Amino acid sequence: MQLNLLSQWALSPVRHFRLFYQFVRQEFSGQFAGSLGGFLWLFVTPIVNIIIYSFVFSVVFRAPIPENFGDVSFVIFLMIGYLPWFAFADAMGRASGLLLEKAPLITKVKFPVQLIPMVGTLVPYLVHGIAFFVFLVYLAFNGYVQVTWLWLPVALGLQFLFTMGLVAILSAFCVFLRDIQQLVALMLTAWFFMTPIIYPLSLLPEAVRPFMLMNPMHSFVQFYREAILLGEFSLPHFEIMTVSALISFFIGGWLFMRIKHAFGDVL
Amino acid sequence: MHSIAVENVFKDFRIYARPQDRLLELLLRKPRHRDFHVLQDISFNVLEGKSLGIIGDNGAGKSTLMKLLVGTLQPTRGSVDIRGQVAALLELGAGFHPEFSGRRNIYLNASLLGVPDDDIEALENDIIAFSELEDFIDQPVKTYSSGMYVRLAFSIATMVRPDVLVIDEALAVGDIAFQKKCVQRMNEFRKQQKSMVFCSHSMYHVQELCDTALWLEKGRIREIGPSEDIVARYEDYCNSRRVYTTGEAHANEHANDKVLAGDAAEAPAVKDCRIIHTVMRDVDGNEIREVEPLQEVILELKAEVQNDAAHCYFGFALMQDLEEIVSSYLATDRPDVENGPFKKGEIITVQVRLSAMTLRVGKFHVLGGVADDSGLLWYETRLSKEITIKPNKGLGPYVMPSTWDVVRDMSNTEDQSSSS
Repeated sequence: MQLNLLSQWALSPVRHFRLFYQFVRQEFSGQFAGSLGGFLWLFVTPIVNIIIYSFVFSVVFRAPIPENFGDVSFVIFLMIGYLPWFAFADAMGRASGLLLEKAPLITKVKFPVQLIPMVGTLVPYLVHGIAFFVFLVYLAFNGYVQVTWLWLPVALGLQFLFTMGLVAILSAFCVFLRDIQQLVALMLTAWFFMTPIIYPLSLLPEAVRPFMLMNPMHSFVQFYREAILLGEFSLPHFEIMTVSALISFFIGGWLFMRIKHAFGDVL
Repeated sequence: MHSIAVENVFKDFRIYARPQDRLLELLLRKPRHRDFHVLQDISFNVLEGKSLGIIGDNGAGKSTLMKLLVGTLQPTRGSVDIRGQVAALLELGAGFHPEFSGRRNIYLNASLLGVPDDDIEALENDIIAFSELEDFIDQPVKTYSSGMYVRLAFSIATMVRPDVLVIDEALAVGDIAFQKKCVQRMNEFRKQQKSMVFCSHSMYHVQELCDTALWLEKGRIREIGPSEDIVARYEDYCNSRRVYTTGEAHANEHANDKVLAGDAAEAPAVKDCRIIHTVMRDVDGNEIREVEPLQEVILELKAEVQNDAAHCYFGFALMQDLEEIVSSYLATDRPDVENGPFKKGEIITVQVRLSAMTLRVGKFHVLGGVADDSGLLWYETRLSKEITIKPNKGLGPYVMPSTWDVVRDMSNTEDQSSSS
């Protein structure tokens, strides 16, 4: 029974591929429908954010060149952490409204509802994946290419699964408790500053660093930096990433599948 | 073979004191709610190729029952078994994305109904043609009117050829021409041995489209049976209740019209007169549902007077398709017809004798009506059952009473000159 729920969850994008594809298409182009800039915003938003952060940290606060990553500018250091985080935060931020927005559909049409958190996660990852890809191309032209870059798709895939599980839980809980929407925004801000994205881990006191291992996003960010800048494959980080991704994906999916039949009663 | 089997279905809505209780209960499995019984002990079957109409007052549980059939709600107890693919029109364009064109929405909506893309491509033109939206199909649907919305939604839901079609009140929005098309399509649907469940406040549509009707009252099945009988009884019930239960609420509006004779406790009914039935009879007084062309018939209306000293004007109309008046007979045009004052409790039978039925083909209803003493406000009308004109020889929609003569005048013929 429980296994059945899990396989239904994990396989639904394959089983309902047509619908999944139509949803993704709809959400993806829906983000730009009616806006003048269209796809331009995909690039403008992260670039503007990067400029702001690098101004604040390298000009105002004069953050030191991060240790242990060789001779790399702070902006590149920042972007490697910031772009994947942005995908994560965007997906999480939308999660709470996902099912509420689709309420008319969920109550009037029978379809695999689990596709909604999946699509809701995939679309931000596609959007920000483009920005990340452009950034990698830029790095490649500046001679940063490493063999370990081949691990990046795997790592991003794990981060995607990790996010999807959390999005499923958040979106489902929000149907019952709308306060979660406010909570998520607060939580994301806190999480952002607790993850060494705009500062290097070396700035943290020694005593605090071990606690970072409890933050999977820290492992993701560190893994990207080490793989991209140093060409190193960090097994401890990779283990944390894999375990947290699988736990999140399956527990989130299981919870979602277990309470989805009640959505119709509440929405 | 049944295509829908509903057995002993109960549906409770859970009422929670606090929103978080619902979540806690789901996770901890400890009850924290009060139950509200929306549906109780509902059982019925719909056979293949048959159609069911669901009627009842607002809040009787019709929409909940439809959602259970579609599967967006789960029954609390009992089972709902549906064979084959279901297409539902529970809300107009529930799956539409307002920013996208009608064409894009066809694809999304059809995939929601489980149709493969290749099939949608094949159906796309038919869908657009049926919806009559050729000129607007590439516009975003947010620019559509509600009528255009329903046309597109109905076209998609019926074009994808589901095995079971569930429609909730969708016909109410389109214009009359489109409603006719919908009715045609739903009839085709029945001919293809597909099943249909249809929920409507339009008794005419239920009667015409459904074999069986189910009358829901306060979450229970009050009656289920042939749609004509159930609809007639439901209409009876509505008519009587309208006067007796909502009478007081409306009485104030009419209070100025009448001088209350001391006894304030007995508020006058809103309507001076309540129609009990409208029928067509032959000259021998038997009720008829089939009529021959040129037959002499009687239109009869029976009414109960509800207020003393009531003045009432009566009238009849023959209606085709329920919107087109073929002919009318109104007492307001006839000063010689008695119009009161009538006494409370009196039963009045009004008959109009038509010396010849000049319609030659088709079906029609007799509409009986009562107007107030001004002769302008027709406050109550009542339809007869559908009356069919028997098949007969001839052409054209009408036939007039006719006599023939053939007159021969031979004064100019050559024959005549030779013989004289």
